[in-house]
Amino acid sequence: MAVDALTTVPPFVYVLVAALLLPVVPRRAGHALGVAATAAVVPVAFLAPEGTFWVTQLFGFEVALFNVDDFSRLMGIIFGFIGAVAVLYSYASDASNKQTAYALSYAGTSVGAVFAGDWLTLVFFWELMAVTSTLLVWDYGGKAVRAGFRYAVLHGIGGSLVLAAIVWHYAEVGSFLFGAATGIAPGAPAILALAAVGIGVNVGFVGLHAWLPDTYPRPHVAASVFLCVYTTKTGVYAMYRAFPEGHLWIAYMGAAMAVFGATMAVLQKDMRRLLSYHIQSQVGYMIAGVGIGTTVATAGAFGHVFNHILYKSLLFMTVGVIIYRTGEESLKYVGGLWRKMPVTFVAFVVAALSIGGFPGFNGFVSKGMVLAEAHYKHLDVIWYLLLAGGVGTFLSFIKLGWYAFYEGSYDGPVRDANGLQTVAMVGVAALCVVYGLFPNALFAILPGNEGGFDYTTYTVGHVVEGLVLFVLGVVAFAVLKRPLDRLGRVPDIDAIYNPLAFYGTRGVVRAVTETYAAVDRAAVAATGGVMWAVQNPADVAERATGRYGAAGGDGANPTSLRADIGTSVLLLTAVVTVGVGVFLLT
Amino acid sequence: MSSLLPLLVAVPIAGALLTLVVGYAADRLGWPLAFASSLLHVALTGYLVVRAYATPDPLRYTVGGFRPPFGIELVVDGFNAAVVGLVAVVAVGVLVYARRAGPHSVAFYTGYLLLVAGLSGMSITGDMFNLYVFLEITGLAAYALVATGDDGRSAVGALKYLLVGTVGASLFLAGIGYAFVATGTLNMADLATKLGEVGYGSTLVRTSFALVVVGLGVKTALYPLHTWQPDAYASAPDSVSGLISALVSTVSAYALARVIYSVYTVEFLSSVAYAREFVLVLAGVSIVAGSLLAVMQTDIKRMLAYSSVSQFGLVVAAFAIANEAAVTGGVVHLVGHAVMKGGLFLAAGAIAMRTGARTVGEFDGLGSRTPLLGAAFAVLSLSMVGVPPAVGFVGKWYIALGAIQSQLWPIAAVILLSTLLTLAYFLRLVERMYFRSGTGAAAGADSPTGTGTATVADGGDDEDPTLGRDDTPTLGRDDDDAFAADDERFGRPSVGMVAVVVVAALLAVVLGPLVSAFEPLLEPTLETLL
Repeated sequence: MAVDALTTVPPFVYVLVAALLLPVVPRRAGHALGVAATAAVVPVAFLAPEGTFWVTQLFGFEVALFNVDDFSRLMGIIFGFIGAVAVLYSYASDASNKQTAYALSYAGTSVGAVFAGDWLTLVFFWELMAVTSTLLVWDYGGKAVRAGFRYAVLHGIGGSLVLAAIVWHYAEVGSFLFGAATGIAPGAPAILALAAVGIGVNVGFVGLHAWLPDTYPRPHVAASVFLCVYTTKTGVYAMYRAFPEGHLWIAYMGAAMAVFGATMAVLQKDMRRLLSYHIQSQVGYMIAGVGIGTTVATAGAFGHVFNHILYKSLLFMTVGVIIYRTGEESLKYVGGLWRKMPVTFVAFVVAALSIGGFPGFNGFVSKGMVLAEAHYKHLDVIWYLLLAGGVGTFLSFIKLGWYAFYEGSYDGPVRDANGLQTVAMVGVAALCVVYGLFPNALFAILPGNEGGFDYTTYTVGHVVEGLVLFVLGVVAFAVLKRPLDRLGRVPDIDAIYNPLAFYGTRGVVRAVTETYAAVDRAAVAATGGVMWAVQNPADVAERATGRYGAAGGDGANPTSLRADIGTSVLLLTAVVTVGVGVFLLT
Repeated sequence: MSSLLPLLVAVPIAGALLTLVVGYAADRLGWPLAFASSLLHVALTGYLVVRAYATPDPLRYTVGGFRPPFGIELVVDGFNAAVVGLVAVVAVGVLVYARRAGPHSVAFYTGYLLLVAGLSGMSITGDMFNLYVFLEITGLAAYALVATGDDGRSAVGALKYLLVGTVGASLFLAGIGYAFVATGTLNMADLATKLGEVGYGSTLVRTSFALVVVGLGVKTALYPLHTWQPDAYASAPDSVSGLISALVSTVSAYALARVIYSVYTVEFLSSVAYAREFVLVLAGVSIVAGSLLAVMQTDIKRMLAYSSVSQFGLVVAAFAIANEAAVTGGVVHLVGHAVMKGGLFLAAGAIAMRTGARTVGEFDGLGSRTPLLGAAFAVLSLSMVGVPPAVGFVGKWYIALGAIQSQLWPIAAVILLSTLLTLAYFLRLVERMYFRSGTGAAAGADSPTGTGTATVADGGDDEDPTLGRDDTPTLGRDDDDAFAADDERFGRPSVGMVAVVVVAALLAVVLGPLVSAFEPLLEPTLETLL
């Protein structure tokens, strides 16, 4: 059957083959190949029959390389689609073949991770993602190298924690396959904690998130489009796999991320750094949805994954175009661009309204599902936090739009997005609107949709809620505009732990080397002393006894420790006395 | 066939008399006669040792038909069979060595045979007073042998040995006297039961134990009772040093063990407060002090002598620990040490004859000057340090094992420490022999003992032109010239001398793996002793 034929090759293979071919083919052909390979993932994911394929042995364990269910299907569709758009955008933004090859290997490993049917394959691709994304960041050079290094270290730690959790899981369950247990080995809190924290590094738990705003603003603008999509969303997917029935603490963490990310975003001037904080904020909504764990909440979380990928990549593309055309990263040096870049401006507005959850745009649909479910479940704290995050989101995008496109001016000639960039942006923007106006198009591919959701998108209450959030955002911007202007760079948690790690590591290294040196000195001194003592025993004897042999005396033994006959007999008598004494007195 | 037992003593005595009488008439017959006696003695011993290990019961002989406990009894069991065999074999080896190395006098051959008789007697007697008699025979023969050296140092050393040794023997005699007063018997087996009947709390019994241990401690040369030993060993002729270092202290240590096990018994050791501790402290102090003193020596023979103080501390400690592993280790180390230390003294003598090197400093570059003797010396040194699989390692291993089994941690620590110190004083020699070039080949060529008649050629000749040349590294043809010069100035050890040293070195290595075969032979005896 034609449909079954789709399962003959796991989809990550096409993407990785394209990544391997890219460096050796011409730029245009290579990028076309990249677009085709990633786009091919979409129909495969859409049409492939549900089930587990490619059950084989990896490192001697039973694994499944190609697992299709509602969740992986959704992830595959959006990963493949946005991969194709991002490759197109890369081509339009002068990305080198090598960079796109790294980007495709990153996208391919992500596709492999979401189609994994077991924990071992998942973590295998998970670690490969960390490697390939680090390469993608490093490829740009300059400041990206150090940031990439921090990124790699943090993801190495996170990956190790996940690996530990999975090994433990295997010890408990006896199989890596997802089908063998519900989520990660239930029952042992330590495994859950390991898994949550390990995956939490990837999704940017508050406190573990600093790599995100640190890394994503640094590389090439097209690389940022890739980066904003895959790592965090694979994390959300893995979080669901680990906690399919949710966990309240995770929901609270998601809510905290939503508020924290939005708040930090408001304070940023670097455009991509602002967007990076919004990744954390938006992923917070998804994590909250996964954490709440009901059917609607989970569907909302995955719907938000889908929508977020659309509008966040669109945002990175619009900001990328600004940076591409002006060379400026900071809001301080751009302004009034809406006249010069109308297409980009429109795309930005669509994306901003989507991310804020304005009625009629796709963010409104999926964010609303999570909010409603939090409200319905009477998780009031989470609900209020998520609402506050929404206000912060509006506020920061009004700020971004205001400074980038409206207020001020930019000196010098600026052109709008080039043709292919426009194609990429407009295509994605159109989807944002379509999915906003026709929520059922999204619901059709959401997991858990047997006979429709118990959720109506466009009710009066929901629309009012969205509008109120927007108005609050506008009011807040009006109030906070001046204080925000005066704000310098706001330190994040990495201002503490980067120096801590640096000086801590240096301290450890110093301590180790100094200790080693001290031990070495002591050993050398001791050895020297023993050598001297062995070579000059007479001197030692002189020093030890204070007795000096008569000069010119017996050459064989200058120090006289010899007992003469009288002394010998005296010694003998003494020993006998002691011996007899000991025996008679006891 | 246990009627052959008295011949172990009688043959050397008869040989001594014959050598004395014939030797004064015909000087040249001295060595052959002594050698023939020794060979006969070895054959006899070999036969009896095989018999002793073949039968489970000890071989016994009642001298003169007087029944024990009144008569004198000779006994050979698994314990002393090893010692008897050792005495015979080492004696023959030394005699072969002495053929060239000297002393070439009838007095030496006679004294030598008397010493062998005394040692054999000490080894096999089952009577306390008889033990004292043989102890005195041994002592007197040893004093005389030390005095056979030509210079004053030998005479002084012998005199010191005589006086200190006699006081020690007297203490031993006094101890026997106390025991006799307490029990009315002198037979060892009888004493063992009677002492128990009198009670270990008895003042007489306790005093006798202290006196006997100290008396035999003098003969064994435990610190601080060792003072006679370095002077005697260092001043005696090389052959005599080898002989008495290998045998006299060894047999005395055996006698100490025999008295502890067969007279006072292990029960006395464990029931009387401080009895075991007294011996262990004496032994432990010996181990450490002997090693430290050895490290400080510059004269090779004195260093070897102090090394013996340390090693006998080890052996006596093993006997005091008195469990199976420790006693096995004690016997192995007793025999092994005799082979190694005798071999080292003989090797030192041969090296001195060949190169004139008698101090640590003069051992520089010896490995290239006398490769074979140097190698033998190095092998014996390393065995003494306790490098596996040599016998020195096996002995120390069992003793340390026994100490640990009895949870005597200080002794175990002392054994390890002594190994380090042994390493210090032997390794510096090996280092000098192989990793330094020889400078001024044996400036002090005049033998301090002045014994080996062939060794003292023209040693005092400071104008020797080779001296200047030897300052440059001796390589290539210069080397040969230097050796040729050595040959002119010094004697050349005979094939027999070198062979004895090499055999000793080989034995030191080969005996190690053989211990596992020896252990089951020793086991039945240990069961009765412990």
